[in-house]
Amino acid sequence: MSLDLSTSMASETDFGPSLMRRGNRLFSADRVMRILTFGSALCILLMLGALLFVLFSSALPSIREFGMGFLTSSEWRPNELYIPVKGSDGKVQLEDGEVVMQTIRPAFGALPVIYGTAVSSIIALVVAIPISFAASLFLTRIAPRWMVPPVSFLIELLAAIPSIAYGIWALFVLAPLLQNHVEPPFNKLFAVIPGLGFLHFDGSPSGRDMFCGGLVLAVMILPIITAMSRDVLRAVPRAQVEGAVALGATWWQSAAEMLKFSRSGLFGAVMLGLARASGETMAVAMVIGNNMQIKSSLFAPAQTMSSLLANEFAEATGEAHRSALAEVALVLLLMSLLFNVVARYLVVGKNARSAAAH
Amino acid sequence: MKLTRLMKSLAGLAIALGAGVSMAETRLQGAGATFPNPLYQKWVTDYQKSHPDVKIDYQSIGSGGGIKGITEKTVDFAGSDAPMNKKEMAGAGASIVHIPTCAGAVVLAYSLPDLRGDLKLSGPIVAEIYQGKITKWNDAKIAALNEGVALPDIGITPVWRTDGSGTTFVFTNYLITQSEDYAGSIGAGKQVKWPVGQGGKGNDGVTAVVQGTKGSIGYIEVNYANANKIPFALLQNKSGKFVKASSDTVSAAGEGALDQMKAPEHLSVNIWNQAGDNAYPISAFTYIIVYKELNYLKEQSKAKALVDFLKWATTEGQRTAGELDYAPLSDGVQKKAAEALHGLTWDGKPLMGAE
Amino acid sequence: MKLNHDAIARHTSQVMYGLCIALTVLIIAMLVWVSGYLVSIGWKAISLEFFTQLPSGDPNAPGGMLHALAGTFALVIMASLLGIPIGMLAGVYLAEYDTDSKLATPVRFVCDVLTGVPSIVVGILGYELLVAPLSYWDGHLHLFSRDWQILPNGGYNGWAGALALAFIMVPIVARTTEEMLRLVPDSYRQASIALGASKARTILQVVIPSATGSVVTGVMLAIARVAGETAPLLFTALGSRFLPFFSAPSAGRPGYIHPSDLSYPFPSLTVQIYDYARGPYRAQNELAWAGVLVLIALIFVLNLAIRFATRGKRAD
Repeated sequence: MSLDLSTSMASETDFGPSLMRRGNRLFSADRVMRILTFGSALCILLMLGALLFVLFSSALPSIREFGMGFLTSSEWRPNELYIPVKGSDGKVQLEDGEVVMQTIRPAFGALPVIYGTAVSSIIALVVAIPISFAASLFLTRIAPRWMVPPVSFLIELLAAIPSIAYGIWALFVLAPLLQNHVEPPFNKLFAVIPGLGFLHFDGSPSGRDMFCGGLVLAVMILPIITAMSRDVLRAVPRAQVEGAVALGATWWQSAAEMLKFSRSGLFGAVMLGLARASGETMAVAMVIGNNMQIKSSLFAPAQTMSSLLANEFAEATGEAHRSALAEVALVLLLMSLLFNVVARYLVVGKNARSAAAH
Repeated sequence: MKLTRLMKSLAGLAIALGAGVSMAETRLQGAGATFPNPLYQKWVTDYQKSHPDVKIDYQSIGSGGGIKGITEKTVDFAGSDAPMNKKEMAGAGASIVHIPTCAGAVVLAYSLPDLRGDLKLSGPIVAEIYQGKITKWNDAKIAALNEGVALPDIGITPVWRTDGSGTTFVFTNYLITQSEDYAGSIGAGKQVKWPVGQGGKGNDGVTAVVQGTKGSIGYIEVNYANANKIPFALLQNKSGKFVKASSDTVSAAGEGALDQMKAPEHLSVNIWNQAGDNAYPISAFTYIIVYKELNYLKEQSKAKALVDFLKWATTEGQRTAGELDYAPLSDGVQKKAAEALHGLTWDGKPLMGAE
Repeated sequence: MKLNHDAIARHTSQVMYGLCIALTVLIIAMLVWVSGYLVSIGWKAISLEFFTQLPSGDPNAPGGMLHALAGTFALVIMASLLGIPIGMLAGVYLAEYDTDSKLATPVRFVCDVLTGVPSIVVGILGYELLVAPLSYWDGHLHLFSRDWQILPNGGYNGWAGALALAFIMVPIVARTTEEMLRLVPDSYRQASIALGASKARTILQVVIPSATGSVVTGVMLAIARVAGETAPLLFTALGSRFLPFFSAPSAGRPGYIHPSDLSYPFPSLTVQIYDYARGPYRAQNELAWAGVLVLIALIFVLNLAIRFATRGKRAD
């Protein structure tokens, strides 16, 4: 990269207005620039502040009413139920020829979606981590120089496909494939092996379940983890690798050494993938089956926090329902905060350590 | 120099923009029920041809979304398959009017590729399937209704709506008339907690799950079943007859509605489980919901345009309804709708007789 | 014994080497699989009508998506006008003014958090701040003896959609700007200051110009990201069947422009796709697939453009 400083400096006269002249303390270009950039930086803090404030204030009624029980209860029934009143004889009561109804209050417990988010994210990570690490090793240790940019580009393209497009693909291609060719044999096989009940489902497999949701998430976080871990591996000092090779290590032994050396950075990459997986909405909502129940089987329909929001927020008419959904959103946001703190601590911590070592 | 040129062009733009603003046009925004959406889209485009200054938009965000929209006044009118309940009406803060626009049927679509002939079901059996009490297609109770049909020995996957919806409201309200046991355990509402089966978001979600899942059964609006060529069950009605959902059989169910429509404020009536040889049992009206006092629209021209459109929709528009597989309103119900429209006011004065 | 051990290590190494190649091929195969499928279903439905027609109202012959394309275009431009300056200025702050202070660290952290916020939560924020509260005001301002529709007249509106998209853009632009500016060697800054230039001028005329290519990348990445967003628009811009800003001449009426359209529900490609994909009618579903194809083509082209814009400027 070259830069012709003389032309840059020559254009000094274009600055014209006295507003920008140096020495005018009140409106100096420096001051304006400083205020503008400082304001923009503050604006970013304000954005998170607004997000937290709005979600918290909307969630407050729900927090007050349910307390911690919100996170541990698995009953989610957003609408009032109308149930006929039964008399002492156990019969439905009639009044003016109409059935007397009673109303049962809605109930909100977020445990099923917390469970769904956790399990689907774990599936996504289990599938995505080995593939991403392999690809990043390929990009740093195997691929010839000319091959790296196009392959990186293709992997980044995978990240650019919109969520809704993944959803359509998963709904019409992946889910039927799982339903017809993957889940039935799993079901047969694991029905008889004790301890592997989570791979078995009693009903007929539908393909739209926790497993499918997890796989779509895996595809969607692949490019993020790959790109991050590629950068982390690239930062490994050459001496580390060359030293290992000089000592007679095989390719894999030196590669493993690299992975081990940069494990905290890789963990940070995984955490970012996890943050993305837990917040992914549209694609998951299309294939996870949307069932607010905790089932041990991976082939049972489930629900995640974000798919719950996509499913219900637009239609939440009751104050309690809306507030409960806001609390789910708040929990989701705090979780994403936590993942980022962990990821950041690991990456920053590592950088600080390696800086100290030099 | 550059700056002045920029200022000039900005000023020019502002003038051009100002000129645009002065064109008189009235915009109305509706949102809500997904079920009548195709019909409403046809209505608003047709209506614009004869009334080019009136631009009406409708977005299908679900009945619950529509009710939320009208309550928070984020839309001018709401579409809903389920009438607003007392609590929702109280939440709206002012008196609400339901205008029925057409009627539709909820059908039980199924995926049994090897089944030959029609499947017949009854309300109590459907209730047991959704409670998880009947789990196989060749259950004796189903077989008893379907003599001579070879029912497969596979499991039943009931499919339901995950979102709050008018479809679920109608379906569950029908089921509580069919089974006390069901009514006591699951109940009725826009969204209930199902003990078994699988969810799909929206009619399309349920349709897709039913299409993709062998052995499944799902409740969807009839036009989704027809458009996707999914078979649906004949249902036993109150008179004991097995009836297929169509615009005729839904209209037959709608005939009983007139007796229930006592006052213009009470046009939200139930037409499920009606007697009559030809009445399809899971039928329901769909409504456009507005406030009785229209000054929430802020401009009288908007209020006038809305009333005119609703008048047109409940009369001339009904012809289009039949073309698109919806059951049109009977003459009697149309008259009731007109009465309700006459009751809509601007600052307390009726809008319709005003011209 | 030692020999045997070495042989095992060599074999393991060969297997892992092969596995790394195979798994990379798998990722690329996934890309081909996903995009291939989407292209194959979209291709059949795409036509000239798609780009030139408005919705017809007839579900069996739904017309085209001109309004949605124009809507997405307008929303992305508005979001960029709002989001890119803030993002870039914040990035400059982080890279040039305040690299390690008490403010920079939290700002950087918040950026990372905001990048990971589920977009549906941004939609909820937009609804709570810019849709629900505005429904009690008609948005008119009386100025210069006439009424100006300056803000939404109640409810869903394009501004809320544009702001929600801008919200998503800001942290992406800020972080990429910072990273790219940091790649500019300090000697440039020192040279500029030594020549008597102020800090502001150094930044505007030396640092930013020498990182333009990379900063453009960040901006384009942000644009590509928001162009494909559905969730934040569902609760804000909602959707519309009208062409934004223009009315075509029809039946003896002249065409005219209406600039206040952002104050009303506003169309976008993604929401229209979502709407059509859910309907019962085949023709609408197909239009949705065509829409997905156009969206993906758009985003791929943007990504390719990024590649060309930054060719040779990136380490890989």
